[in-house]
Amino acid sequence: MNVIETNALGKRYRRKWALHDCTLAIPGGHIVALVGPNGAGKTTLLTMAVGLTRPTEGTVSVLGGEPAGSPQALDRIAFVAQDAPLYRNLPVAHMLHLSRNLNKTWDQRRAEDRLVQLEIPLSQKVGELSGGQKAQLALTIALARRPGLLVLDEPLASLDPVARDDFMGAVVAAAEEDGISVVLSSHVLAELERVATYLIVLTRGQVQVAGTVRELLASHGAGLEEIALRYLRAGVSSLSRTEGAA
Amino acid sequence: MISSPPAAQPATATGRRPVPWTRLAWVTLRQRRGAVIGTSVVLGVFAAYLLIMAIIQNNAYAAVQACHPAAALRCQQLAQAFTRDYWGGGGRVIQSGGAQTVSSLLFALPVLLGAFVGGPLLAREFESGTFRFAWTQGAGRTRWSVSTLVLPAVLLTAVTGAFTALFYWYFRPFLADGQVSDMLPLAFALLGVAFAAWTLFAFAVTAFTGTLFRRTVPAMAVTLVVYIALAIGTATVIRQHYLTPVTEQGWNGNAGAGWVISSWAKAPNGQILSQADLGNVAAHLPASVQNSPDPNAFTDWLTQHGYTMWQSVQPDSRFWQFQLIEGGWLLAVSALLIAGTVVLVRRRGA
Repeated sequence: MNVIETNALGKRYRRKWALHDCTLAIPGGHIVALVGPNGAGKTTLLTMAVGLTRPTEGTVSVLGGEPAGSPQALDRIAFVAQDAPLYRNLPVAHMLHLSRNLNKTWDQRRAEDRLVQLEIPLSQKVGELSGGQKAQLALTIALARRPGLLVLDEPLASLDPVARDDFMGAVVAAAEEDGISVVLSSHVLAELERVATYLIVLTRGQVQVAGTVRELLASHGAGLEEIALRYLRAGVSSLSRTEGAA
Repeated sequence: MISSPPAAQPATATGRRPVPWTRLAWVTLRQRRGAVIGTSVVLGVFAAYLLIMAIIQNNAYAAVQACHPAAALRCQQLAQAFTRDYWGGGGRVIQSGGAQTVSSLLFALPVLLGAFVGGPLLAREFESGTFRFAWTQGAGRTRWSVSTLVLPAVLLTAVTGAFTALFYWYFRPFLADGQVSDMLPLAFALLGVAFAAWTLFAFAVTAFTGTLFRRTVPAMAVTLVVYIALAIGTATVIRQHYLTPVTEQGWNGNAGAGWVISSWAKAPNGQILSQADLGNVAAHLPASVQNSPDPNAFTDWLTQHGYTMWQSVQPDSRFWQFQLIEGGWLLAVSALLIAGTVVLVRRRGA
């Protein structure tokens, strides 16, 4: 089963294409690293996959053919947007309760256990949590929904190194425990290198390479970072060529 | 700490039944706690004042009514004192300018309440980015936005409707006294269903513009402009056309007759004289009429010289018809705006 499948997917904001002619099939059971520079179209791709943004062209389906944004898809995808937006004025307990009331599936015990482990008090206001705690709370809420697919947009961008390590540890543990597929985006591959089992490199709205890390390592005979760098460079230079020609 | 419905089990995940409305209602009320408290405080303070004043005022008015014979000087003075003290304010601090001032202040309440409750509903979600959270939960954005819009709309309409009942009790002596016709613009929108309908309208406009602009403050500003323009336009131009006015002979003024839309006179030769024409006639009258201390001198002169006086009126008996017409179109426009807001939410991308 493919967790995300796109066909000639594109999104145009006014005159600029944020993503263009993107055809992908991401198989399930992976921790997928979606890597590319800022403005490459990572967020656009992810928000279309979770049903927040409508494509300008092409199609996107999730979890084995459900149209993105359909009730069945929303039910089984947990999405944590960049900077983990949550209601700052609510205490953590009410944030959990609100999330429970917005979902059919909810594992309250799991959420509470995780927060105890993380030493995040239920009475604390969300707005008073540290960046790392807020990211962990967003992840806790996402996991309590028992999703089939967890999508995280730049989850590490605003975290300090210790919080990053803790956060990635939690994601990997959850993926193993629950057997869920995870897609994470980042503009820094180094953060995801240790955990990713699938790599997608995106530059200027175009997919440069997509494949399992194992295959990529075998076929390129180089480290993951170097492979990614090679494709990032290729993406930029191919584009500057076309721009030069035009 | 919080009362919770039983948690849904993972096994229900494959069910096609959507998230129940009761749960979404909890979410909406929890998120709007500030608006609920704010609205309660504002309306509560006004209501407490109206309640106290209504008791005092109705007692004083009962004394005026009980005075017999009504034509006696003592009773006339009592009635004048009542009007001076309670309508005009009479200088006592607790009356804060009297019913005249209080009722005009209340005209601002629908737009302030509506904008305060409706403005942040969706605009805050955009401003803080939390729409990315709310719209990707299992309930889906359509159900979420319907709950977010409809529940506050219903509650706001209900409490402002209840508030009108209290205001009517407070205001009743002046309506009964013929001081104010309930059809007049300075009373109509504060009575019946109009007050709640205008509040709902302000709410719907702000919720819609807040979703359109994705910003709270510009949405409130636009709402204020739209609201004031439409409220004034309705009172001065639109409302008098709900039903064809009744044409009747004689100039009775507003007292008792209803809402006078226009008045004119017919000359002995059949010529129609507007108020402007009559001004010309008055200017050429003998000084004895022009300078007469009797306020009826001019109309007496007109009658004596074969003129007839006419006016077109929306009579008081049409009050509820007019209330239902105004409430009806405001409700329809508000419902369209709320539906439009849901459509915007469904269409809007991140």
